[in-house]
Formats: sequence, structure tokens, C-alpha cells
Amino acid sequence: MKRTVTKWGSYIIAGSGLLISLAPLYWLLTISLKTEIDQFASPPLWFHFTPTFVHFQEAFGVNEFGKYLFNSCLVATSSTLIALVLGIPAAYSLTRLKWPKNQAEKIGFWILSNRFLPPIITIVPLFLMMRNLGLLDSPVALIIVYVGFNLPFVIWMMQTFIREIPPELDEAARVDGDSYFGALIRIILPLASPGIAATAIFCLIIAWNEFLLALVLTQTESSMTLPIGIASQVTQYEIRWGIMSAAGVVATVPVLIFSLFVQKYLVRGLSMGAVKG
Amino acid sequence: MSLGLIALCFLTLEGCTKTSGETGLTVAVNAGVEGQALKEAAKDWEKKTGVKMHVVELPYSNLFEKELLDLKSKTGAYDVIMLDDPWFPQYATGGQLNSLDNLYKGQGLEGPESDFIKSTLDVCRQPWATGSYYALPYVGNSQLFFYRKDLFDKYSLKAPKTWTEVLQGAKKIGSAEKMYGYVMRAAAGNAVVADFMPLLWAFGADIFSPDKKPALNSPEAVSALKFMLALGEVTPPGYTGYNADEVSAHLLQSTAVMSINWPAWIGPMDDVSKSKIVGKIGFTQIPSEKNKGQAELGAWLVAIPSGSKNVAKAFEFIRWATSPTQMKVAAFRGNPPTRTSVFDDRDLIQKFRAFPAQKESLASARPRPRTPLWNEIENVFGIYLSKANSKTMDPETALNEANKEITAIISRNL
Amino acid sequence: MARRRVLWIFPALLILVGLSIYPLLYSLKVSFVTIQGDWGISNYTRILRDHLLHVSLIQTFIYVTGALTIELILGLFLALLVDSLGRGKYFFRGGFLAPMLLPPVVAAIVWRLIYNPQFGVLNSTLKLFGVATEKLTWTSGEGSAMASVIFVDIWEWTPFMFLLLSAGLQSIPVEPCEAARMDGASSFKVLKDIILPLLKPTLFLAILLRAMDLLRIFDQIWILTQGGPGLATETVSLYIYRTAFRFFNFGYAASMSFVCLILVSLFAKSLFRMLKMSVV
Repeated sequence: MKRTVTKWGSYIIAGSGLLISLAPLYWLLTISLKTEIDQFASPPLWFHFTPTFVHFQEAFGVNEFGKYLFNSCLVATSSTLIALVLGIPAAYSLTRLKWPKNQAEKIGFWILSNRFLPPIITIVPLFLMMRNLGLLDSPVALIIVYVGFNLPFVIWMMQTFIREIPPELDEAARVDGDSYFGALIRIILPLASPGIAATAIFCLIIAWNEFLLALVLTQTESSMTLPIGIASQVTQYEIRWGIMSAAGVVATVPVLIFSLFVQKYLVRGLSMGAVKG
Repeated sequence: MSLGLIALCFLTLEGCTKTSGETGLTVAVNAGVEGQALKEAAKDWEKKTGVKMHVVELPYSNLFEKELLDLKSKTGAYDVIMLDDPWFPQYATGGQLNSLDNLYKGQGLEGPESDFIKSTLDVCRQPWATGSYYALPYVGNSQLFFYRKDLFDKYSLKAPKTWTEVLQGAKKIGSAEKMYGYVMRAAAGNAVVADFMPLLWAFGADIFSPDKKPALNSPEAVSALKFMLALGEVTPPGYTGYNADEVSAHLLQSTAVMSINWPAWIGPMDDVSKSKIVGKIGFTQIPSEKNKGQAELGAWLVAIPSGSKNVAKAFEFIRWATSPTQMKVAAFRGNPPTRTSVFDDRDLIQKFRAFPAQKESLASARPRPRTPLWNEIENVFGIYLSKANSKTMDPETALNEANKEITAIISRNL
Repeated sequence: MARRRVLWIFPALLILVGLSIYPLLYSLKVSFVTIQGDWGISNYTRILRDHLLHVSLIQTFIYVTGALTIELILGLFLALLVDSLGRGKYFFRGGFLAPMLLPPVVAAIVWRLIYNPQFGVLNSTLKLFGVATEKLTWTSGEGSAMASVIFVDIWEWTPFMFLLLSAGLQSIPVEPCEAARMDGASSFKVLKDIILPLLKPTLFLAILLRAMDLLRIFDQIWILTQGGPGLATETVSLYIYRTAFRFFNFGYAASMSFVCLILVSLFAKSLFRMLKMSVV
């Protein structure tokens, strides 16, 4: 009896937790579909309103959100890919190849510490650097910076995933005549793929959502990303809730769907490696 | 191998960067009503001349940061910039903006026409009102007093002429109609300072005394702040975080009776899809008290950064955009003009019933102190005003502390 | 041997060095330039006297400890809860993840709308339940602003803790727990004596990661309150940003950043050491 009560209790608590998590997202969705006068109505209109798509039209038709969306996609995918391409070999090098005494650990720690660098310190010099390179206001600047942003994370995560793989496996491959590179491609990558997926997802989300660096390094819609576009709806006199929420919905939906699909990998990937330290 | 991949990525990406044409103009505008008109004007200009116009819309604070960064590091990202007049002193230093005097002379002209309302032209000059021109006024923005004319008529009250009348009316109508008698912006920073300046001035005080020393701890200033707190009693609680949208929402939803507001909100007041009070709002001048009421000037100017590579073309554009015919077009789109002739235009007066009130307000409007340190000063002033309004500090202490900080800011930057 | 290991790590290191060492050195240089334009340490001496900075440090501390503690406890609770659910485990897990996937900017604007004292859905809904909402000003009230802002962080990032701790729970072997329970130990005892100790590495990891992110918090607060009302939610990163980009005082901003960097590094180092020790 006690068992069933606690069982039901657990479900109720979990359910309310879920409600709190998702209600604001639902509200965002409704705001994007309501006329202005409905948005501020009191008592609030949770369900009884006539939906309108005018805000989506405003955002993507009249305003530049189509371009922002494109930039966000471009920057997020490119930086993730490059970070993986650079980070996986680096992680492999640190875990599998022989390094003098504590060097690998020290390098690893230094790499990780970059993740903790407050962006405030770096934004002005980065701005100047990009300006001197002529890359200001171009997606390339953001991609480079996001790679730097994500590399520590990739290297660190991949290190732990690679450590999970018994060294005998790739050693066996090399004994059979494979090069280190071959061992990486044929043994490590397939075995670490859940971990790689988890890492890639995190990188994508971080790049997709990033705000401060994009704020400083972009100047026109050639390079502005979705978060910047959304924040720019907070004008001096009014907040264009309609456009903002429409863009917000578009910014969130892909991430949500994507994550739901790979949610299993996320947990597995994390439990596989990172947690073990 | 990885290096090769990086190189490949760079090459492909380099191809799909920068779309802004070298032969076009990039215009930075404020995301919002004021920027809207210039945005449309840019589109018209492109149709008329074929020059590619590239408009970048940024929210208020970002606009400032991006423009200043561009000006200081001369990146040449923008050819024309829109700026709020308090930013002007900071922008116009160090040769960051292109002087318009020479450009005018090159066209055989003296300078901007006298058709422009003087108060708006004065803020385009460095030093104020006497120096060279570095910008042209585009949006004739100055505060108006919004009040529910229908309710005032109902209680046989005349439009409030003094702040005392405002408070009386607020209390009377508010309690009778179960509404808030007053509503104001008091979010820390630009919001609270903008709503406080008219009070400060009307009570006979100012941030700086005539000999340029900080004078916020004067007895008049304290009375002004005390009065603001008295108004706070009939204002919705939570106003200490209010910005313009919350204030207007109260008016639009008919939960507040009066407020200081800006012309950008005149349109929505009569817009059926946004307002519950269509046709019921009256517009009058900022109330007086000890001194005649003066609206705070908030004109938006257009200027040309010295880093721009298209100065001549940019000048052509802004002259065209600020010409009488174009200002009339912009006015029809909801942009408050800066020319007397446009304000007097019959067609416009017919469409915009508040035009005469706006013109009067603009002509007598007062700009905020012209100092490059305004941002820092406004920030600190805003903090203490906010504290006073949240009742975490009494008015005298708040003003004293603010004065101290402002003095420190000035001496730090000498 | 040496060539190969260096070669593979070289491109990554190159980018990291370029994007972190150069900016650090540049910032260091700038921090020694005074407003007047010459060299001096006035930016650093100002840090000692600047009471606005001191207040912002306190606010940051409150924010970090408040958010971290609650996120940790809540995250652990939810992880244990969902772990105990048989059916629907994946369903709940997916749903709980949602808030942290939002762009922080979007989360901030949603909550700004919800918090609006007059028209936000929070107060409107409370009103329906008869709660007097006159005094409930959330982000606009100096007393409640910090709490409101912390709550948004909790809403948004508890899922992260939840995720990490769930993963940690997965890797704990079931046998010791079952054995203990068969020996008659209560669930609470099992939790205290078996699960928590085994979860230590994960806990420390979670604390480390989250604390680092909290210390740098910017986006949400900027959109929700811009540091107000007054200084109620002005954290260090907001103050530094404002000094740099509004007042255009990069020298002072750089010096403050450095001092903060040192403080954060010391903090991170000690946390990391604790993490390493707990794994042993």
C-alpha cells in the first residue's frame, strides 16, 4: 500500500515538475500566436484566443530573421565540426600517446581552464583582433571564436570517452599493422560514437545559444545570429513581444526536437565517460 | 591533415561572407518606431537612386555600443548612424564624426536651413548651440503629457497645468475610478532619469548649476524628488522597474490615468488592435511648478562617422531624408518631424491631432546636460533615483550620494 | 614519437593560444593605461575604493551560492525521483531537459514577460487563486529582484544538474543498494551511505561546471533587469561590461576582469583539487 502511495506521489511530483519546466515554453508559443491586445490580457488567455501568424510573417518576412537563422545554423554547425576535427586527435594524443611525466595532465588542465575564462576579458581584444584581420562582421569570426570556445570541452570530454575504451583494442589494431591514425579511425571513433554524439550536441547548443561574443563581433545582419536578433526586439520604447517570441520559438524548436531524439545518447554518453572523471 | 581541413573551411566560408556592397551605404538605425522611418526612407532612396542601402537595426543600448565602438576604432562599418541626442557630446569628440560644415560649403550652402526647429539644431552642434554641425536632426522627439481627457471632463477638471494639479487630479480620479492616478518609468538608468528631469526642472533645480558644478543636493532638487515619491503613491507598485512599454500598457489597458510619454506612443493609443482607450487620450505640455514646464528633448540625429568610405553619398542621403518633402513622407509614417514647415502642414495636422502640442513641446524642449560623461552620470544618477523610489534610501541621502558620485566621475576624467 | 603527439594536438593548441593568450596579454597591457592615457596603476587602486564594484561582488556571490545550492539539491532530488520511476523515465527525462536547451536570451524574455507585475501571466494566474498581487513585483522590486532572477536560473539550469546526476546514478552498481535493502536498511540510509559517496565525483563535477558558468552570468540578468532596480541584481560581469562598453573605460574594465580572473582561478583550482581527491 505504502509502495503505491509513494509511486503515485512520485509521479505527481514529477508531473508538476514537468509542468513547471514546460509551461513557460508553452506560454512563449502562445505569445507568438496572439495579437498584441491578447498578449497582455488580464486574466491571462491560456487557451481561448484566436491564433495569428502575423508575427512569424513580420519576423521572417519583413525583418531579417531568415538571415539570422541562416547565420546561426552556419556558425553552429561549422564550429562544431571544426572543433571535433581538431579536438578528437588532440584528445587521442593526450590519452593514448606517450607524454613525459605529468605533461599530458598539465596540458589537459590548461586546456580545460580556458573554458573558465570570463568572456569579458577576451571580448575587446578579440574585437580588435578580428577587426585587424578584416573578419569583423563575418560569420568566420564567430566560427573561429566558437571553435576556441568549444575546443576545451571537446578535448576534455573526448579524453574521458577514449579512456573508457580498453587500450588493448587499438593496440591490437596497431600490432596488426595499422597506423595510429588508422587505429583512431577504425577503432576509437566507432566505439566512442555515443560520446562524440553527446559532445557534438553540446557544442551545437552552446554555439546556437551564445550571446555575448556574437553581440560584440557582429555589426550587421551579414553575421548576426538568432539570439542577437531576438534581443534586438527589446527597443527603447517597447518590446516587440510578437516578433521576439516568434523568433524565440524558431530558435528553440530545432534544439528541442534534436535533443529529444538524441536524449538517450546524451545520458549514455555522459555516464560513459565524463562522470568517471 | 587537420590543417588542410581548416584551410578548406576558410576558403569556402570566405566566399559566403560579407554581402554589404562596397558601393552601397550601411545605415545603423534604432530598432523601434524612430528607426522605422529612416529604414523606410533608405528603401525609398534605393528605389530612387539605385544606391544599395543596407539597414542595420539595433536596440537602443546595443546601437550606442556598436556605434561608439565603430567610431573609436574607425572600422567604417556604418556610413550613416542614428543617435539619441544625449550621445552626441561623446560621439562628436576627437574627430569621430564628419563635420557637416565643409560638406555644406561644398554645396554652396551656409548650413542647415532655419526651417529646422532651433532646439533640435542646437544639439547637433559641438559645442552646444554655437559650434560646427556634426549631425542633422531627424526625429523630433520630446516628451508630452498624456492624460485621460474623457475622465478629466467627467470630473469637470481642466487639463493639468502644474504638477500640483497633476497630483490632485491623480488622487481624485484614481480613487473614484479605481484606477492608478499616475504611472511612470522608474527602471534604473535612462528610464527613471528621463521621467525625473522634467520634475527636476519644473521645481527649479538641475543636475549642474550655471557654473557647471554638480548641484543635485539643492533644496529644490530634494522637493522635486519628494514630489516624485508622492506621485509614486498613486502609481502601480512595481513601477520601480517600469520602462516605456509597461507605462504605455497601463494607459492602453485603461488602468492608469496620466503619464509623461513620448510621441512614439501616440499612434498606439488610437490603434484599435492595441488600445482600449481609442480617442480618449489628451496630449498637453509638461506641467509647470516653480518654473515653466519643459519637456526633455530626446531628438534622434543622423550623422556620418569619419571612418566611413562613402562620405559624399552619405551626406546626399541625409540631406534628402531631412528635406521638407521627405520629412512629410516620414511624418505620415509616424515619424515626428524636426521642421516647422512640416509641423504646420495642414494634411498632417488633420491626421495627427497631437501635432500642434508636439511642435510646442519640441520648440521649448530642454536637452540633457551636454557632457561626454553623460552615460556614466546617467547611470549613477539612475541608481540613486531608483533607490529613492524603492524606498531603500531617503531622498536627501540619495541626492547627496548621487552628487558625490557625479563629482567623482568628473574629477576622475579631468 | 614526440613529433606525432605534438602534431596532433598542435592545431587545437594554436587556436586556443591565439584566442586566449593574446587577449589576456592585451587586456593586461590595457589595464595599466589610465584614463588620461599614460601608464599607471590607478585602475587597480580604484578597485579598492570602488564601492559599486564591491556591491556587485556581493551580488555575484549571493547569486552563485543561491542558485548553485538550490540547483544541486533540486537536481539530485529529481534525478533520484526519475530514476525510481519505472515507466515514463525517458519521457520525464526528455521533458525536464527542455529549459536548458533554450537560448538564455529567449528564457530571459519569456520570464520577463511572465514576471510583469500587471500583465504577466504569473500575477494574473495568482490573482485567479485569490492571492493579493499588489506587492508582488518580482524583478521590479528591490527586495525580490535577486530572488526572481535566481529563480529563472534555477528553472533554466536545474535540468543540467539533473542530467549530470542522472548519468552519475546510472553508473552506480545496483547490487550494493539491493544487498543493503535486503539487509533491512531504509531507503534513506541507502542514499546516505551508499549512493551519495559513490556520487561524489559527479557531484563535484556538477558543482565545478555550474559554479564556473554562474560566475560569468550575463545574458539573462542583462535582459531581465539590466542590473536593477538600483544595484539589486548588478553582478560583476554586468558592471565590467557597462564600464567597458557604455563608459568606454577599457582600462578599468580590464583591471577588474583580471582581479576577477585571479579570484575565479583560485576558486576553480581548489574545487578541482577536491574533485580529484574524491575520485581516489
